[in-house]
Amino acid sequence: MPLDTKHLEALQQQWKGKQRKDNIKYFMMGATGIFVFLLIWQLVVKSGLVNEKMLPAPTTILQTLLYKVNNKPPDGNVLLVNILASLQVALSGFFSAIIIGIPLGLFMGWWKYADRFIRPIFELIRPIPPIAWIPLVVVWMGIGLKAKALIIFFTAFVPCVINSYTGIKLTSQTLINVSKTFGAKNFEIFYKVGIPSALPMVFAGIRVALGNAWSTLVAAEMLAASAGLGYMIQLGRTVARPDIVIVGMVVIGAIGAVLSALLSSLEKYFLRWKSVR
Amino acid sequence: MDVQKKKTSLQLILWWSLPVLAVGLVIVAWVLFSANNPRLMPGPMAVIQRLIKVFEKPIAKTSLFGHAWASLKRVLTALLLAWTIGIALGILIGWNRACKAILGSIFELIRPIPPIAWIPIVIMWFGIGEFPKVLIVFIGTFVPLVINTAAGISMVDKINVDVGKMFGGNNWQILRSIVIPTALPSIFAGIRTSVSSGWTTVLAAEMIAAQKGLGALVTRGWQGSDMALVLVAVITIAIIGSLLAIFLSVLEKVVCPWKSN
Repeated sequence: MPLDTKHLEALQQQWKGKQRKDNIKYFMMGATGIFVFLLIWQLVVKSGLVNEKMLPAPTTILQTLLYKVNNKPPDGNVLLVNILASLQVALSGFFSAIIIGIPLGLFMGWWKYADRFIRPIFELIRPIPPIAWIPLVVVWMGIGLKAKALIIFFTAFVPCVINSYTGIKLTSQTLINVSKTFGAKNFEIFYKVGIPSALPMVFAGIRVALGNAWSTLVAAEMLAASAGLGYMIQLGRTVARPDIVIVGMVVIGAIGAVLSALLSSLEKYFLRWKSVR
Repeated sequence: MDVQKKKTSLQLILWWSLPVLAVGLVIVAWVLFSANNPRLMPGPMAVIQRLIKVFEKPIAKTSLFGHAWASLKRVLTALLLAWTIGIALGILIGWNRACKAILGSIFELIRPIPPIAWIPIVIMWFGIGEFPKVLIVFIGTFVPLVINTAAGISMVDKINVDVGKMFGGNNWQILRSIVIPTALPSIFAGIRTSVSSGWTTVLAAEMIAAQKGLGALVTRGWQGSDMALVLVAVITIAIIGSLLAIFLSVLEKVVCPWKSN
């Protein structure tokens, strides 16, 4: 019996059309959901159910956001200066954690004696929540960029080490044996087989590290800073300006989302060999 | 083969002495650093003395255990709430596409805001009592639960769901006896993350405003330049954090025994 390709193609077209329609439908539902959420918020505030001094309406927040782009009060910096100050702190801590943490984790995972030596030190430091370091670091180094970057470093360092360690430990023994059979030296196997096979795990670690870095930043800046988004939020609270606080939260959330999207595309680029089977 | 497998005695000595050496090195470094900079970092002995003093002269009329319990109580209350609401919401988002479209998009809007960034606004709204602290911890623990639960539910193999339908199961039966057990390891990963994230967030909340709790001890020591007290609190925090992690990994083996191999 000849295969009825025409019918099959028609069915496939139909299925694709339904799929597309579904996607549009659910996208519209999502957009409506957000719109209704904001609308209820607006109505609740404007109708006086909730005090506007406590929870400003979405439109007020948008106004404040636009106002902060060009104006310094009440925290003394325009929005962009705050954003850059925060990014500088977060990224310097984050990148130093990557530069130190990932090689350390890979190294520990590959050479057993390094593991025996470094692991106990690491396990002693690991359970201390990064926020608990703040007082010690402030006493040691003051409240400058270095101190804040060091706090961020602690939060980003741990997932970098753990994930690269686990990732390289999971390298398939078969691959290692094949390379040995072909006469590769241990170090050569390490960087030609071990590192690529650990890369997906390493990226997962970087993702966690980035999330940690960005959320700890707020804590670091709230306790001690003179510029930055966390500082802006904290100041907004002391001068009783909830709109400033919420603008700060929204900007922090948005930048966090953008950073994580950037990381995703970077990950896709570096792991493009993975999808080819 | 035999010769290769056997470690030489030198290697054996190295194998067992390296961890001891590492811990010894940390202690020596600590002692030396504190001896040279007593104001920056108290030595191990000073910390032990401070620990004894905490028990002799309780701070804020509460012993160290009392402070630890105050923090734990906040975390546990928030966790119980977050487990009920977060897992339920995660199941809804993962199971029903319409729910995913509507609730999921609102959730995605709120999700990227770090829990610590909620502290100022929550304090503005609810003051500095017990409820705002629990609420902050709730926000911090709620997010990983929803994400993990939803991911676990939506990753269930479609074949298993279809088999359930073939055998005439209704939606609720399929959800209860096929989907949720499959998603359990993922839900458990969410629980594990929620506990460690809750333990961190409660410290931040307490460091900003609290009378009791380990975070309050840290702030108190910091403001009074009593670094030994800070270290006592930090070490207690670390010990409780590791105990919680150990407890959870034991619990995971009990709840999803098929996962470990």
